[in-house]
Amino acid sequence: MHTTEPIVTGASVLGIQCVDGVVLGCDTLASYGSLARFQRVRRIVQPGADWVLGGGGEYSDLQEVARLLETMVTREYCQEDGVVRAPRAVHRYLARVMYQRRSRLDPLFNSLVLAGRGRFLGVVDMYGTAFESHVVATGFGSLLALPLLRKAWRPDMRMEEGAACVEHCLRVLFYRDCRALSSVQLARVPAEGAIEVSEPYELGELQWHVAQTVA
Amino acid sequence: MLRNQYDTDITTFSPQGRIHQIEYASEAVKQGSAVVGARSGTHAVLACVKRSVSDLASHQRKIFELDTHVGVAVSGIIADARVLSKFMRNECLQHRFAYESAVPVGRLVRHVADYCQRCTQRASKRPFGVGLLVAGVDELGPHLFETCPSGDEYELWAMALGARSQSAKTYLERHLEEVKQAKRDELIRLALAALRETFAAVRDAELTEHNCMVAVVGIEEPFRVYEDAQVAGFLEAIRPAPEPEGGSATGAPSASEERMEDTS
Amino acid sequence: MAGVGSGYDLSTTTFSPEGRVFQLEYANKAVELSGTVVGVVCRDAVVLAVENVLPHRFVVSGTLRRVHTVDRHVAIAVGGMGPDGRHLVARARSEAENYRAVYGEAIPARVLADRVAGYAHLYSLYWHVRPFGCTAVIGAWDAVVGAVLYAVEPDGSVYKYRAYAHGKGRTAVRTELDKVRWAERERAEAMREVAGVVERSRDVVKDKPYELEMVVVGERGVERIDRFTAAESGGERSGGGDD
Repeated sequence: MHTTEPIVTGASVLGIQCVDGVVLGCDTLASYGSLARFQRVRRIVQPGADWVLGGGGEYSDLQEVARLLETMVTREYCQEDGVVRAPRAVHRYLARVMYQRRSRLDPLFNSLVLAGRGRFLGVVDMYGTAFESHVVATGFGSLLALPLLRKAWRPDMRMEEGAACVEHCLRVLFYRDCRALSSVQLARVPAEGAIEVSEPYELGELQWHVAQTVA
Repeated sequence: MLRNQYDTDITTFSPQGRIHQIEYASEAVKQGSAVVGARSGTHAVLACVKRSVSDLASHQRKIFELDTHVGVAVSGIIADARVLSKFMRNECLQHRFAYESAVPVGRLVRHVADYCQRCTQRASKRPFGVGLLVAGVDELGPHLFETCPSGDEYELWAMALGARSQSAKTYLERHLEEVKQAKRDELIRLALAALRETFAAVRDAELTEHNCMVAVVGIEEPFRVYEDAQVAGFLEAIRPAPEPEGGSATGAPSASEERMEDTS
Repeated sequence: MAGVGSGYDLSTTTFSPEGRVFQLEYANKAVELSGTVVGVVCRDAVVLAVENVLPHRFVVSGTLRRVHTVDRHVAIAVGGMGPDGRHLVARARSEAENYRAVYGEAIPARVLADRVAGYAHLYSLYWHVRPFGCTAVIGAWDAVVGAVLYAVEPDGSVYKYRAYAHGKGRTAVRTELDKVRWAERERAEAMREVAGVVERSRDVVKDKPYELEMVVVGERGVERIDRFTAAESGGERSGGGDD
């Protein structure tokens, strides 16, 4: 049996590259169709020390991808030779996996965003399309958030600013995307130093009164 | 002829716990012409003596490039070496395909050594009768490895395999500290000087550009093989005396701009 | 040369009239020939140590490997033929990986030891393969029982140990191991003592120089002990000793 449509799904993932690192963000909802079924699931995982993965689309497929990466990391751990798989290499590996699956007509229904040390930010989608970019948004976010991220992005942007920007976009998504949620998760991936993946938290200062003015 | 009933089968241990067939396969390594490897903090160098079976035949090449960052020098049954080279090239390509990056040298060697081990444990195969010197560079720096028919692998500063390699090993052992410190051209000189030692006991034979091959790989320097006229410059550097005071490698097709430094 | 097993000792598929399988005993001899391997279970960890005899001066120090990591919480020290050990370790790794994929948690040490032993046993049954010329000393941190130690022999047998030694210096080392209540030792203490036991088992005049490879498996997983730290300051813990 091949998956022909996703069942339990996550929505957008956003990412932005700053001078001192990369910020990744997404909400914590796994929808069952239009039902907001699971509201506190983590869609950002960190199997390795040097990178994090954010994913949207079929949630079980995302778990499978996470397992694949964990296996890869454990194998690396066993090597004990001091060589660390670079985030870029992990990104390319994911691209190969996704492309092979889609070529077998058995795709993993995900849009994946990889953020890593050394200011790495890249996307892989369910067709195996892979690229790196300063700003990244998947799902509905590619329509709603990407223009905002592009507008906000500056080459000298710092991570605090980047995080605020991602948070702003998540708020916009919550207002306008029916599959989005106000509970979100942020990952800060500094160019050097420890990666920080936040616990799920609520977006504050939501202003629904503007809804009346929107057609 | 030394013979015993335990030495004909790869699946048979002797009462002493040895496997003679593996030891005999290791003897095959000594049948090949000499190869030398050396590595310093920045570079790894391979050098070999090429043999030709007749005046009408070409010289047997014994150094093969595997990828832009790694290559191998072989001694023993060359046909076996070609199988292992192909295996390793395939590993390199697989890694490039999957990760778009160069395979770490140590893992490549571990892999090919594991492959060699499998052939020592089943009756349907024989062990590979070839020793490899693998020189390469990865994110940890330059490396030199040796693999044996037994499946053993060692990371080394220097090594010599093949016919009369003991004299080359003696030379390398004596100059080990120089090898560790050597700059590119100095390392080539040391490797060739060691290789020349294998000719010391042979009448009317010497190292010439026709019968030797050199390969260099370094940090920021891709693996490259030098042959024929290209090694003439390197040979010039070892010409004067067995222990020159830092012979110059002028005329060598040097890709590096590093100064020659007198370390001897 | 002839006559040790009088023709009954050429294959693992042959029993001798007394009911022995000589090839398995000879495989064990391969372990007895090689560098000493030691494993002890102390209070909060398993200490694995191997005497890595240096074959010559060309070896880059710290690169000889006889203790291999199998999973986050398991390491295997190999006594005997190193390449055979790597083969067995590769199998152990895939067993551990497979268990994780199926059950979503770390493989219990007992299960891993059983499976590795089963695999080694397979190589003692058929004429077309030979037994492993090595023992696998499995040190693991088990989620339920804590630090545990198993040893798998070439014949495919496996036992759980409080302390284990094999290889060249086994006799001397086993005598010393017997004298200590290892379960009461802290890991730093145990490391220092194990290093000393290996050192004392050697013949200073006859034996070639060696490097002591030491790995500790505790609650935090597998830790490789820097060879200099282990030898000189008596086994203080330190980060990975990778070169």
